[in-house]
Amino acid sequence: MDKPYLPFYKLATVLLLLAGFAVQADETCMSPYMAKIVGQEDFVYVWTLGEEGLGDEQDKLVTIDVNPASPNYGQVVHTLSVGGRNEAHHSGFSDDRRYLWAGGLDTSKIFIFDVHSDPAKPKLHKTIDDFVAKSGGVVGPHTFYALAGRMMITGLSNNKDHGGRTAMVEYSNKGEYIATHWHPTDDSLNGAEKSGKYADGYGYDVRVLPRRNAMFTSSFTGWSNYMMDFGTMLADEEAMKRFGNTAVLWDLHTRKPKKVFDMPGAPLEIRCAWQPNHNYCFTTTALTSKIWLLYEDANGVWQAKAVADIGDPSKVPLPVDISITSDDSGLWVQTFMDGKTRYFDITDPFAPKQVYEKVIGAQLNMISQSWDGKRAYFTSSLLDNWDKKGDQDEQFFKAYTWDGKELNLEFAVDFKAEKLGSAHQMRFGAYGLYGLQRPYAARDIAAGE
Amino acid sequence: MRLACCFLLGASLVLAEPPLSIRLAPGDDKTGYRRADYQTDSLSLARRRGSAIDLAANARAEHLGLPPLADFQVAAPNAGAIQLGRKLFFDRRLSRNRTMSCAMCHIPEQGFTSNELKRPIGFEGRGVKRNAPTLLNVAFNQRLFWDARERELAQQIWSPLLAANEMNNPSVGYVLDQLHADPHYRELFQQAFGEPANILNTGLALAQYQQSLIAANSRFDRWYFAGDQAALNAQEKLGFRLFTGKAACSSCHLIGAQYALFTDHQLHNTGVGYQESMQKTPATVTVQLAPGVQVAVDQKLVSTVGEAKENDLGRYEVSLQPADRWKYRTPGLRNVALTAPYMHNGEFLSLQAVIDFYNRGGVQHELLSPLIRPLGLVESEQAALRAFLVALTGGNVAQLVGDAFAAPVGDTTASPQ
Repeated sequence: MDKPYLPFYKLATVLLLLAGFAVQADETCMSPYMAKIVGQEDFVYVWTLGEEGLGDEQDKLVTIDVNPASPNYGQVVHTLSVGGRNEAHHSGFSDDRRYLWAGGLDTSKIFIFDVHSDPAKPKLHKTIDDFVAKSGGVVGPHTFYALAGRMMITGLSNNKDHGGRTAMVEYSNKGEYIATHWHPTDDSLNGAEKSGKYADGYGYDVRVLPRRNAMFTSSFTGWSNYMMDFGTMLADEEAMKRFGNTAVLWDLHTRKPKKVFDMPGAPLEIRCAWQPNHNYCFTTTALTSKIWLLYEDANGVWQAKAVADIGDPSKVPLPVDISITSDDSGLWVQTFMDGKTRYFDITDPFAPKQVYEKVIGAQLNMISQSWDGKRAYFTSSLLDNWDKKGDQDEQFFKAYTWDGKELNLEFAVDFKAEKLGSAHQMRFGAYGLYGLQRPYAARDIAAGE
Repeated sequence: MRLACCFLLGASLVLAEPPLSIRLAPGDDKTGYRRADYQTDSLSLARRRGSAIDLAANARAEHLGLPPLADFQVAAPNAGAIQLGRKLFFDRRLSRNRTMSCAMCHIPEQGFTSNELKRPIGFEGRGVKRNAPTLLNVAFNQRLFWDARERELAQQIWSPLLAANEMNNPSVGYVLDQLHADPHYRELFQQAFGEPANILNTGLALAQYQQSLIAANSRFDRWYFAGDQAALNAQEKLGFRLFTGKAACSSCHLIGAQYALFTDHQLHNTGVGYQESMQKTPATVTVQLAPGVQVAVDQKLVSTVGEAKENDLGRYEVSLQPADRWKYRTPGLRNVALTAPYMHNGEFLSLQAVIDFYNRGGVQHELLSPLIRPLGLVESEQAALRAFLVALTGGNVAQLVGDAFAAPVGDTTASPQ
């Protein structure tokens, strides 16, 4: 069968091949240090929050078969409960893509799943429950981002005041603690330039541009805020002061901060451009609803600029997850409050234009799109106590195809009806990554592809 | 007004290391955040360091402005029990999912309360409906909780340990099992009490630590009780005259001839609770999105992401007497500049907002305390009153905070695998 994946060293070749075509997308939020699925993904792993009163009430990894050629297409084929409600949130593969690290923002536990032995049935390989103690007080492991032989984990909070000052924490692929990299604060810039008025020390996401030796982080809020009832927080003037307003450029190799950018209103997900000459990354501010561009100017100096509004910022649409296409021409932006996905034309990165939008559900958070850009998957949950209440608390996984003009629903899994919990982050799995054969007929695969 | 202040710890018998500058405010101070010209003032957590002090000595010492602790305490200060209580206080493993310690809501540099939330957040993010009170000078409280439902610290501690929305431990026995299973705690309990942890000595240990958090010898104390005329300036002295005169604050926040606890230990209805329960829901909520960026958000939209607010009827919830509706305990005012936000629900973010409220005469309704009436304070008088309240900050608070910084934070260290 065709290998539906590529190791990093082959990526450049693929990108060159694709450059001449109207490539729609790629598996875009993966680390460049990681093998990629460039064909049909077999599974989507959904890191799911346990809900009180629903099913077994525990956080779990839910495996959904998404290969149209499979007899189980559209079905939940496996669930793996890990014990407790840990505020399941984000996950990320190790660079060899054999293990999926998934974090709990509340308990700061990290669950490492073996996804290579049987991609259809992940196994719990190891649990790290001393992340806070080992890291020197970092709380809330958020992003799991593969570097070469390492896992870079962003924290959201700390064990001293449960506020937003925090750090990145570096682990080995074996799950051994290596180092803590604190975000720069006014009194401890650690060599960084404070380019504006802010150096809050907050953290959220991390992404890298290895060819520029650049690493970027964004900033959100601490445990007290991300754990509390969203409506209560909006009305708490003190709590609303406790959001990050910065992004930071780091030296990727030395892990030292180089420049702190003002980015008011909680910049969240960072997505860097893929093309070899595109030295920029996007992020969006959740509270102020803007698309920001981090870019290298003509003098080789990194800058930050707000380049577009998302919806009507005065209505607080709350942009959350974003996803960039592999040819850097488009950016999917999810807005939680109105449940919309919005597609921006970013051909000119300094002037994004919204060209499409669609309501996916009553609430919306995450998106994952396939390498070929033809498939996009969506989930509903943002944070357990931020999700909508009552009937609007829809919890779903929805699979769409994208023809360049319209999203078409292929199937959906109702996570409440299935007694699973609240659907959060998605990661793709494939047999071919590990040299395994799909357990169904080749002709079906051909039909599916 | 910037209430945050820094104290340089001077040489002291109880200080073992060179002086450290300790900020008595959140480490990432957000003063001025509402303005567009806001600038961060964020300290690294690595700088959050202090030195241990002799807390038993602090508990036994005479503090200018306060009565002897012996008149209030449940047991004589015991250094071993205090150290044990201090370790328990900062141990995040003492909650069911090992994330919440007492100190996560009673944050040392934030006046041993939380400046960052109107009302605390507990287990799995569940809301607590009343503001976290300061623990400074808690030893002198005759009654505990805003509704005065408890009297002894050693008993009180089991409420947050077991409350579903606070530390969520399923039982007393569960907590004790955790303590019995930990070799270090076994040793500390044996040293302090000569017996394993039990319901009584666990409460007592935590009470002993909290009772040692005595903070007095404020500038007010030095002026009023020691006759140091230079300790207060003219504006602060005017504030004192207003506090005890025109503004009548001292009707409830008592100042005695020998000492001042700034509380009558009684419960009163000021109208804050009544207003919260009975006012119509406003059509919009003003939301701070970023420095200098505020928007009015439709309440209907906010309600889609918010649980209904839990009602709060104050002392009535304990007594079931209609006359006790919306009555709350009078808090002491020592160190009040460090303990924002204010009132039982954290409604007022600043001392000025509190003064504005009382100057208006509270909220009129049939149960309003007759002691609450419009005050007619002009702006300069309000400023003087505010200045006086700031002068109530104890001279040794930074030492207590520094000691807390030196305390180990308990986190899970050993993997069960």
